[in-house]
Amino acid sequence: MNQNLGTIKNQYISKIADLKTDKELETLRIELFGRNGLINDLFSKIKEVAPEDKKQYGTDLNQLKTDLEQSLLSKNVQKSEKLTSEKLTSTIFGLPKIGHLHPITQTERELNEVFRKLGFSIYNSPEIVTDEFNFTRLNVPKDHPARDMQDSIYIKEPEYLLRTQTSTIESYLLKNENKNLPIRAAFPGSVYRNEKVNHSNHFVFHQYQAVVIDKGITMKDLIGTMDLMFKTLYGPNVVVRYRCKYYPEVEPGVGPDMQCFKCHGVGCNLCKYAGWIEMGGSGMIHPNVLKMAGIDSKVWSGFAFGMGLDRWTMAQKNIKDIRTLMGGNLAYKPNEL
Amino acid sequence: MKLIYSELKKFLPDLSVEPHQLRDDITMIGHFTNFFEEINDEIVFDLDIKVNRGDCLGYYGLARDLSVFYNIPIKNLSSNINSQSNYSLPIQITTNNVKRIMAIKISNLKNNPSPQWLQTFLKCHGVNSINTLVDLTNYIMFLYGIPSHAFDTAKSTDNLIWEMNPKFKEFTSLDGSKLILDKNILMINNPDKALSLSFWGGESCAIDETTTETIIEIAIYDRTTVRQNSRQLKSNTEASTRLEKDLDPELIPMAFNHLVNLILENCGGQINSQIFDYYPNKVISPQIEFDPKKCSLVSGINIPTDFSVDCLTRLGSTIDDLPSTISITPPSVRKDLSIEADLIEEVVRFWGYQKIPTNQPLTFKELTDITPKEIYLIESLKDQLISLGYDEILSWPLVDTPTDPKSVVTTQNSVNTEVIYLRQSLIPSLKRQLDQYERLKLPETQFFEISKVFEKVGDNFIEKNSLGLYHYNFKQLINDLQKLNLSATIFDNNFAEIILDDLPKPNKYIPKLQNNNVVELTSQTITLDANLTLDTKENPTELIKKYSKIIGPESLWKLIITDIYQDTKTNKYRYTFQASYFNIDDKTAKKIHLEAFNLI
Repeated sequence: MNQNLGTIKNQYISKIADLKTDKELETLRIELFGRNGLINDLFSKIKEVAPEDKKQYGTDLNQLKTDLEQSLLSKNVQKSEKLTSEKLTSTIFGLPKIGHLHPITQTERELNEVFRKLGFSIYNSPEIVTDEFNFTRLNVPKDHPARDMQDSIYIKEPEYLLRTQTSTIESYLLKNENKNLPIRAAFPGSVYRNEKVNHSNHFVFHQYQAVVIDKGITMKDLIGTMDLMFKTLYGPNVVVRYRCKYYPEVEPGVGPDMQCFKCHGVGCNLCKYAGWIEMGGSGMIHPNVLKMAGIDSKVWSGFAFGMGLDRWTMAQKNIKDIRTLMGGNLAYKPNEL
Repeated sequence: MKLIYSELKKFLPDLSVEPHQLRDDITMIGHFTNFFEEINDEIVFDLDIKVNRGDCLGYYGLARDLSVFYNIPIKNLSSNINSQSNYSLPIQITTNNVKRIMAIKISNLKNNPSPQWLQTFLKCHGVNSINTLVDLTNYIMFLYGIPSHAFDTAKSTDNLIWEMNPKFKEFTSLDGSKLILDKNILMINNPDKALSLSFWGGESCAIDETTTETIIEIAIYDRTTVRQNSRQLKSNTEASTRLEKDLDPELIPMAFNHLVNLILENCGGQINSQIFDYYPNKVISPQIEFDPKKCSLVSGINIPTDFSVDCLTRLGSTIDDLPSTISITPPSVRKDLSIEADLIEEVVRFWGYQKIPTNQPLTFKELTDITPKEIYLIESLKDQLISLGYDEILSWPLVDTPTDPKSVVTTQNSVNTEVIYLRQSLIPSLKRQLDQYERLKLPETQFFEISKVFEKVGDNFIEKNSLGLYHYNFKQLINDLQKLNLSATIFDNNFAEIILDDLPKPNKYIPKLQNNNVVELTSQTITLDANLTLDTKENPTELIKKYSKIIGPESLWKLIITDIYQDTKTNKYRYTFQASYFNIDDKTAKKIHLEAFNLI
């Protein structure tokens, strides 16, 4: 042991041996282990020790701390007949620890429940996809300007990319299940775009999509079902308008806008002074999309709608930074306080 | 796209709705309007024009839509021009990427700073005023959605050539940007000089206030070529935004005549050439068989046939009766109308989406369950894990280091050059999450992630669902894996990972809805102790509940009782609490703590 630390040890072991009352014991304990006590002071001096001696100094100091603690404790035990208090239990009491689903999963489950009650299956498909499934089968041929709406992340191998939208899952669904008509399917999924990551944008985010193919499906079915979903998610008083909106994979296209929950339609920075927040896209599945999936559009019709989950989840959980959702500062209170 | 109310009214003199109503109506028919504002006493709307409606990147296209919607006439602001000149411009076109060009030479003009109305117009559109001639070409672009250009013939000569770049290595644009060219660039040159790109004018023939003679041209090109050129040169201009869309060559004469008349009116001068009009392949609009009843069948509400036919007529379509249906030839300006579904959308949007009821959703229908069974497994596992106290996290699927370089999937254009690989394991992501939790001083963490991991085997990409787990207590981690009947690989004692795809899967699982106590941590948690002396022995859980309520959920992360002592002399009980606080500073935490436990 470091000579200086050795001297200190001997000095305090001797002092402990001479203690007579509980009061003296407590005074010495504070002198050694209090916030401004000797041990803390010695630890703070570790930065002044030469680099080559630091390791040994740390070891010795920890040993000194342990020895003095033990010595105080044993003194305590020797005088136990004089103690006025008694520890009743060694158990640490707390409320039971509970685990939590990620808030995105939570939102997905709420939506899955709505759609399962209507007879929907839950579906998924690969995340590394070909250009064909991400664009062409969704009525977006090569060099179509609609491709500029989405900056894709490509894999080194040509023609492969990370899916940019959950509509890509629709491409797989229609191809794989075109002999199982009618179909109803909903699919949550993570999607990727080449976006700089900052507090409001991320390269990976989460969408939710639902697709129906049946005979005689109409826009009335689409809008009624979407409205049911919004009311389930946002409450019965939510105000949503449905307007004409372009997406290459649907026609007629429908854009649901929710009246801004912050300003209630007056206009504020959240809704960019529009009074409304765009909630995603939808529409009747384009005849070309059905045709590419081998589905006869004269017999079958259908609708599709999709929405982003991240922004709503952030607003609901008071999360200001989208990075929090993906491995950042997201944490869960360990129990329901 | 900006839209000035007073300028729109020039095309629609009978427009009488208030700006608020106009904003809502334009939005409902497909052009989302964020807001309107007042700039220099003008009411200016901010519109989001979708890529299929290149015609609406000009006032004329929007006015056409609104004239149908409000059933009011649209005014033609253009009038024909006459040229008495016998001079034929020596223009050459050596590429088939040109759809139509109209051009003319004007001499003896006097170019000055722009009149105030023109400066205000451009300011509202976020464009700087240069001089009258240049500003008028921009004005016409905003009115009709087709870019136009003026060459100073003293610099360019009359020998303009539309060609794919024959030899030029470099081009300097009007704003002085130097661009490096290759052979795939569509250009306007003379035999010696690079003059202009298809979407951006050049410095070498720029119009200034000394210009007295000009060749004015309006052209439409193969949009894919313009788009590729713009991407390749990383140059996005108002002109390229428009020329990348499917524009109507038939609209050029109207815009061209309007421009020439405005130049003569504002700059004087005389027309000094014949009108040059290159239009090799005349646009033919498609004939579409249309059954008006389908508008009702698709929308689910009754839309009268008369309305459908009237609406498409007002849109400018030609209508011919067929034996059982009708044939519609849409106006050439509407490049987005090519099949029956396009026409149905037109009718429904003008009839009004708001007339479709919102309270008639689909009802339950029993269909074959096509849910992949791994989804049931994942849902079931998540529920079991949270019942064991684990929190779910999600992490970045892109990582900086491959677990196995031989089979790693590499991205071509990742968002960040440091993270270019798709993860092959969840463990590195879980470790990063643990580091973050430790920085935040979160005690006793246990968490999991179920996400895809990726690898390349031969020419195939393999995606598998993986479960990654961390528990601060190794023994408990092992116990939990046993409870879940999972055989996992253990990493660094406290981490475990298992690929889920090969596990047995349930045929059905309906997951539970859970409460979610999620928090975005903005600072380290702060843990403080408090001793409380009570006269009687109390139930510790009730005490925790009581003091949790006193402290309040806004700042309390966790509250436990670490010790309970009985004073044998006084027969009193001492409870030692340990409280953790979040998203508040030390000082505030201490204040709350002292007040809650009455320690002041």
